[in-house]
This record gives sequence, structure tokens and C-alpha cells, in this order.
Amino acid sequence: MRAFMQRRMAAWIRRRQGVDVLPVTLQRRRLYILPTRAGVAFGVLLLLMLIAGLNYANSLALLVTFLLAGLALVAMHSCHRNLLGLTVAELSSADSFAGEHAELRLRLANSRAQLRPGIEIDGAGIAAVAGTAPANGEVVVSLRMAAPRRGLLPIGRLRIMSTWPFGLFRAWTWLHLAHSVTVYPRPAGQRPMPMAAGANRGTAPRESGDIDEWATLRAFRDGDSPRQVAWKAYARGAPLLVKEYTASGSAERLFDFATLAGLDTEQRLSQLARWIVNCASDGEGFGVRLPQQLIELDQGMVHRQRCLRALALFGSESARQ
Amino acid sequence: MSDRPASQQRATHWMVGAYVMGALLHLGQVPLWVIVLACSGAAWALAAAHGRARLPGRIFKVSLTVALTGTVLAMFHTLNGLNAGSALLVLMGAIKLLEATTRRDRLIVVGVAFYLLLAACLASQELLRAPLYLLQAWVCCTALLYAAHPDAPLPSRLAGRISARSLGFALPLALLLFALFPRLSGSFWSLGAANQAQTGLSDTMSPGSISELSNSTDPVFRAWFAGPVPPPQQRYWRGPVLHDFDGYSWTRTNGDNFHSEALMYLGQAYHYQIRLEPDSGPWWPALDTVQSVDARGTRITADRQLQAFRPAHDAVTYFAVSYTTTVSADTLSRIARQFDTHVVTGRNPRSQALARHMRASAPDVPAYINSVVALFRDGHFEYTLTPPLLDLDSVDDFLFNTRRGFCGHFASAFALLMRAGGVPARVVTGYQGGEWNPIGGYLLIRRSDAHAWVEVWEDGRGWVRVDPTAVVAPERLRRGILDLLPSAGSVPERLLHDFSWLQQGHQAWDALNAWWGTQVVAYNYSSQLRVLESLGFGSPGWQQLGWLLAGALTLWLLIISWQFGRVGPARGPDRLARAYLRLCARLARCGPPRQPHQGPLAYAATLGGSSEPAAQARELLHLYAQLRYGSDTPSAAQLREFERRVSRWRAPRPRARASRET
Repeated sequence: MRAFMQRRMAAWIRRRQGVDVLPVTLQRRRLYILPTRAGVAFGVLLLLMLIAGLNYANSLALLVTFLLAGLALVAMHSCHRNLLGLTVAELSSADSFAGEHAELRLRLANSRAQLRPGIEIDGAGIAAVAGTAPANGEVVVSLRMAAPRRGLLPIGRLRIMSTWPFGLFRAWTWLHLAHSVTVYPRPAGQRPMPMAAGANRGTAPRESGDIDEWATLRAFRDGDSPRQVAWKAYARGAPLLVKEYTASGSAERLFDFATLAGLDTEQRLSQLARWIVNCASDGEGFGVRLPQQLIELDQGMVHRQRCLRALALFGSESARQ
Repeated sequence: MSDRPASQQRATHWMVGAYVMGALLHLGQVPLWVIVLACSGAAWALAAAHGRARLPGRIFKVSLTVALTGTVLAMFHTLNGLNAGSALLVLMGAIKLLEATTRRDRLIVVGVAFYLLLAACLASQELLRAPLYLLQAWVCCTALLYAAHPDAPLPSRLAGRISARSLGFALPLALLLFALFPRLSGSFWSLGAANQAQTGLSDTMSPGSISELSNSTDPVFRAWFAGPVPPPQQRYWRGPVLHDFDGYSWTRTNGDNFHSEALMYLGQAYHYQIRLEPDSGPWWPALDTVQSVDARGTRITADRQLQAFRPAHDAVTYFAVSYTTTVSADTLSRIARQFDTHVVTGRNPRSQALARHMRASAPDVPAYINSVVALFRDGHFEYTLTPPLLDLDSVDDFLFNTRRGFCGHFASAFALLMRAGGVPARVVTGYQGGEWNPIGGYLLIRRSDAHAWVEVWEDGRGWVRVDPTAVVAPERLRRGILDLLPSAGSVPERLLHDFSWLQQGHQAWDALNAWWGTQVVAYNYSSQLRVLESLGFGSPGWQQLGWLLAGALTLWLLIISWQFGRVGPARGPDRLARAYLRLCARLARCGPPRQPHQGPLAYAATLGGSSEPAAQARELLHLYAQLRYGSDTPSAAQLREFERRVSRWRAPRPRARASRET
């Protein structure tokens, strides 16, 4: 019942406010305010004080009670004012892998000559983060949004709230942003990396027992074949290292979706993501072939992002456009 | 724990501060060990916040709670009274302090501090404490702010300023509500009254048993007069009337079986308000003779005393109307005459014999009264506050032996002589005189103004006041006791008496306290109605009060929301920038406008031309850069000079010149 009410409420607020386009300056129409739990407790305390003061006809007790009642009302206005006129200037986000947290960066601008402390922001899957907007200045608040699945993750609605100054009232506003974060598939899978472009369509592991061929050692990463691990070095007490081969270092690979037989789609995408991540961090060139898309051989961070985005959007509407 | 952020520690400091101050407000109300425990708990919590100690475990706290509750219960025999409740609140707050590490716990401790403030108000409403209460409210508010936002990186000064500002905005509302919020005229329940000694007027008097009269200058009541103030000789404040004399002590009999004689009130009517200090007992003084009184729970007895049905523990305020001259053409009832002429046969035989002898030689009652007065005047009596003790036939001992005494001795002897001579007489106790406070415009009556006099019945005149003390020591009426007996009174009292500026300061302070007592502490429903009346409401009541309250509340809310709702624009350009912008605007009219990314120097570089105005403009732009970004803030003279030069600057007229050439 409560969840139902909340859904109805959220839908109504969404209809009422519409989609926001940044920058948004918070106006009265979209600011909501209610007492917090501490505020309700404070109200009960005031009521008890009032009864005691009236009962004993004690003027000073009544004066204190009225002073605190006035304080609560002033706190309400202060709380509202702490958000009123605040500008949400910009939202930027970085892509993330599924199972990790996507980082959102919200820039808040305060055009007033007073500090705005205690501004909290949260949302669905976003833990509350507090920030203080300096007088006539800006603050960038970093949010971490849980990204459980690959694909385009809509931010949904963000709540900007404040219980400043006395925690008796909470003022808040909802921000509906048409903004999504691209979530890459989680890098996973144990399949060995294909050898060279076009040449090996098979799934045979790379056979390179020849010790002379390797040139350098690098740290072990998930997905490395146990055969490549420098076990002798490990036995001597070194961390888990993997032998790099000069022969394969210059090789350019094509990671093909179709070659990963025996895995379902998500597992295949995860395996591809792992290969892309490993390959890109080694500075090697690679290409990706998906059923309806071919990304040519290339290297560099932009290429990596392009490939991973293609994996993230695989099978969705926006991928086909 | 020592690696807690500084803001968390600040939250703990303010919370502990609010609690300790709340506990200290109860110093003197609760046992000292409670305060000591509170301070120890606070010290423990502070040490724990700094990582120097560990907070106690759950079992320790639970057993401490049980033990302390038991101790309080054993000491006070109740948990309901104000002092017991305060002690318990202080102790429980100390225990809560020992586990206050979360936001919620801190909020609870701050709530305890708020309630301790309220309990302190209930316990004492002295003017001297009011600033302390205000300070405590501020400390609690700041603690609340930190408790609600433990992670806010906020210096204490700023937090303190925010809560002071909030309280400042709340104060007008508090005063409005105080003035207009409808008060109850009764109470839902009452705390057990403290078992304090009654210090008011007693309804017995045994002058023979007193060897040294207490001469305290503590105030008893204050009287404000609307209109004229009675002259000093008329300032008799009536208290209990004593009818029963056993030869040694006068006691008050229940006078209800008398009927009240009809009185004619003559002369000036005195309208006045009396503010009685706390714990004054059931006998409320009123100017003799009181005609009517406006006070709940009181009555005027047949012998014209103002009696409250219940002794007053708190300070009370009442209004009364009195006349100093009355006449009664009524006759004294037989039973009253019998009562007030009664003497115990065999006690004070010499006095009784003297009275019979004097009565026999006087032609009528007035002549008899005059002859007894003359006896006191010429009988070498001495007024003293340290009389010798008297034996059981106290009047005989006094009249024929010691001849030294104070008002009680004289009144007692005079009344006995009257009765033994067959004239109805009664002893009236109360106060005489009072110190006029010119600053507050009231009479202050102290304990040392206590007095006793006699009333005798004369047919055709009624009860007539005779003050034998005034005959013996006439100065006693016109001047204070300190003038009469320089050795009376303590050293500070004599100092006050001897130095007029000290006395003025003392009077000013007393006037302030009196104002506080009558206007603030005693403010109640009838005061509210009086305020409404003075505001021009015809017949004020709850409705008018409600309307006025709603109106005032709305007004305050409007002002506050206007004050807080202004979305003030960012501060506009200052004087220097305005002049600079004017210059830029004028340059833009005759040349390339300044681009948003261009500073003054970059813009100056784009201004070509070797003409005089262009060079001037470049110079001005450089000057602006120097004033704006130079190491010194520009002086007012420099600003004026810059503005003057900007307004003097004239644009070249290339277009005009060009048109002339063509």
C-alpha cells in the first residue's frame, strides 16, 4: 500500500514538474517541505512544555516555550531558503562496468551571498551525499550510483534536500533528468584471448611454451591463462606475474562474438569486455565483431570506449540507430 | 575514537556544554551530589570523545540507572515533585551522555537540556536568572544544530551566529505569543508544594516571649497606587485581628460568628495593586480599611481582614480599594461586645485594677481612652527592639516593671486596659509605613515594618484605631526604624541607609525586580484582558484575544517569509565596476564592443587610433585595471576621480567628420 502510494506520488510529481533541462534554478513551486522525525519529536516536546507552562501559570516557562516555537518556524523558513534559488548547473557522468558504481558529478551554483550548508542529494540506487555550496560559488557533488546491469542506465529522479539548520524540517525537490549512464558488461570469462586477427577463429588456447619468446612480465589479471603465469618467479616469492610475449604484443586481434560458442549472450559480452579491457591496458590493437556491427582494428582509449559502448548497447534500441 | 573528525568532536562539545549548563541551572534545587555526578558524566563523555577514556558498557549503565532512580526515590519519596523530577532528569541525562555517539542519541541529550531549561523556569523566575535562561536557550540551539549536522564543516562561531540569528527572529513571535496566547485560569494538576516555612503574618502574638525582634529588611509586598498615595500616618496595612487574650498571648479566634458592622466610607478612596512575595500565608495585607478586593479565592472577614482560602506559595497580585476614614453608626452585637471585653480574671490583676480605677474617674469612654493614652505618653516608656522577657502576667510586668518594649507590648497592654475598663478592644497586627520607591512609583513594605495596634469600639463612631506605639515613639510612624534605632539593621542595611547613591541604586534594582514580578512573572489572563482593554476593545474575552493573536501571528509570518523568501540577486557590480561598465558601453557606441572574454587591458589593446579620446580611453582602462587588481584597495578619492574622468570622456566623432568631408 505504501509503495503504491509512493509510486502514485512520484508519478504525480513527475507529471506536475515535467522533465528538467539543466541548468535548473530551484523555485518555490517545486520545493516541498515537511518536518523530520526529530522535528515531530521537538513538536511533542514543545507541547509538553506548553502544558506545563500553562498548568503552573509560569510566565518564564511559557516564554521559553514560545521562543522555541518561534525558533521552529524560523527553522522552517531557513530550511526552505537553503534550497530556494539554488541552481543545479550541470550533470556529468562517467561510464562504468556492471556491478560497479557509476560516478555522477552534479555541479551546484549558489548565486547568493550566504553559504548553503548541508545540501544532500540522493536517488534510486544513489547513496546520500552532503555538500556545502559556498557563498557566490559552486560545489561539485560526486554521487555513486549502483549499476547492476549493462546497458543504458537512466538516472531516474534525483532528490536534492536539506535539513539545515536545526534538522527539524526537511525541504526537498525532485529533479527529473533525461540523462543516462552507459554501463558496460562486467568483464568476466576465462576463455583465452584469440591470437591474431582473422587467423584464429578457433577456440584453441595459445600454445607458446617456448620460454625464449617472452619479453616482459606484468601483474596477473583475472582471465589470464595459468600457463602464462611465471610460476618460478612466484615460487621465489614474487607476486603473481604473467609472461608477456613479444610475438603476441604486436599482434592485432579481432574479438568475434560468434566465436564464443557455448556461452549465452551476456556471458559472451562479458568475455569480450574482459578481452577489450586487458588488451587496451596493454596498449595493443584490436577489433570487435558483433552480429550486426564491425568495429575495425584500432587502439587507444577512445577506441576502447567505443567498443565497450557497443557491447553495452548490444541488442537495445539505441544500438541499431 | 581519537580519529573522529573535528566537526563530530564539536558536536560532542556543544552537546556536553548544553547538558552541563542545564544541570548547573538546578544548582541549589537538586542535591549537590546530583550536580557532581552530572559533571563527572560530562567529563567522562568528553574524555571518551578525545580518545582518552572508554565509554562504559551496557550492564554498568543499566545498573547505574536502577541505582540512581532508587536513590532519588528514597531521598524525595516521590518522582513526581519538581525537585525530584529535575534530579532524575539530570541523572538520566548523564547516563544518556555516556552512550551518546550517534546522531539520535545526541538529539535526545539536547532534548534533555531543553527540558532542564524548562524545569529551571518552573523552579525560579527571578530576574537575575532570565539572562542565564536566554543564554542556555542559545547554547541548546547551537547544540541542536551540531547534533543534527554532525558532519557539517562549520566553525563554532558561524553556528553560534546562526542560532543567535534564528533566536532573534523568533523573539518577536515569542513576545507576541506571550502577550496574547490565552492563559488558563486554573491548573490541570499541581506539583506538591515545597515544605517551606511560612514567613507571613502570624495569627498569634506573645510580646513577652520575644527578647529580640527580628529586623529583617526583606520585602513583604509592594503597593502601586492609581491616584494619590496615603500620607505616612495613614499607611496601616491590616493583617490578622487578634481577639483572644489569655494574659500572655493574643490569638486569633475564628471571627465568623460576628456579624460585620455596616460602615460608611469617607474621604479619599485609594485604588491600589499589591504584589505579595511568595510564601506569604493566608493573611494578605490590605490598606486599612479595605472596601473591596479583586482577587480570586479571598474574602473580607467580619473584622475587615483580607483572608485567602489557601496559603499562597507563589507570588500573588491583587487589586483593592480602601478608605482610611470610616464611620459606623451600627451597634456592636452583644456577642462581639462580650468577646472583645473579655479578660481572664486573676491574670494581670494590677493592670485590671488600674483600668477599673481609671475608668471610674473618667466621665465617658473617649475621656477614658485619652487618659490611658496619656498614661503611655507620660509614663516613661521606652521603645526598643530588644526588650526584656516578661513573666506570665505579661502586662503587669510590662506596665509596672520593665516599661521597655516594641509595638506588640504597647498594643497588648493598651488593649487589656481597655477591656478591663469595659471598652471593647482588639489587637490588629500588620504593617505600618513603607518606603516610597520614586523610580518604580510604589511603596515597598519590608518585614521590619511589621506593626501592631489597637482598635476600640466607640458607640456612634465604630471601631477606632489607637496606636499606643505612636504615642510613645511618634517618630516610628514618620520615619523608618533605622532612623529611630541606629543600631538596628545589619551593616549593609545601614550602609544603604547612610549613602543616598547606594540607596538609589538599590531602589532602581528593586523597581526593576518589581516590574519584572508584576509585568512578566504575574502576567495572566486578567492582565491579557487589561491589555486588550487598553488597546480599545470594548468587552474583551477569548474571541478578541484569539483574533488579535491570529492577526499578529499572520503578520509575523508574513514578515519572516518576506525576510527569508527574498531570493536576493547576487551582489551587483560595485561602484568601480559600474563606472567601468559605463565606460565600456560608451566605447562600444563608437568602436568595437568589449568581448566577454576580454579584460580591461586586452580591450585597451584592441582600441586602435592615435586620437586623443582613444589614448584617454586606453589610459582609463589601464587605470581601472590598476584600481581593481592593484595591491591597495582604491580610496574614495580615487574612485571619485575615476568616475569623474569616465563621465568627462568624450567620444571622437569620426562619422560627423566624415560627413563634413563628403
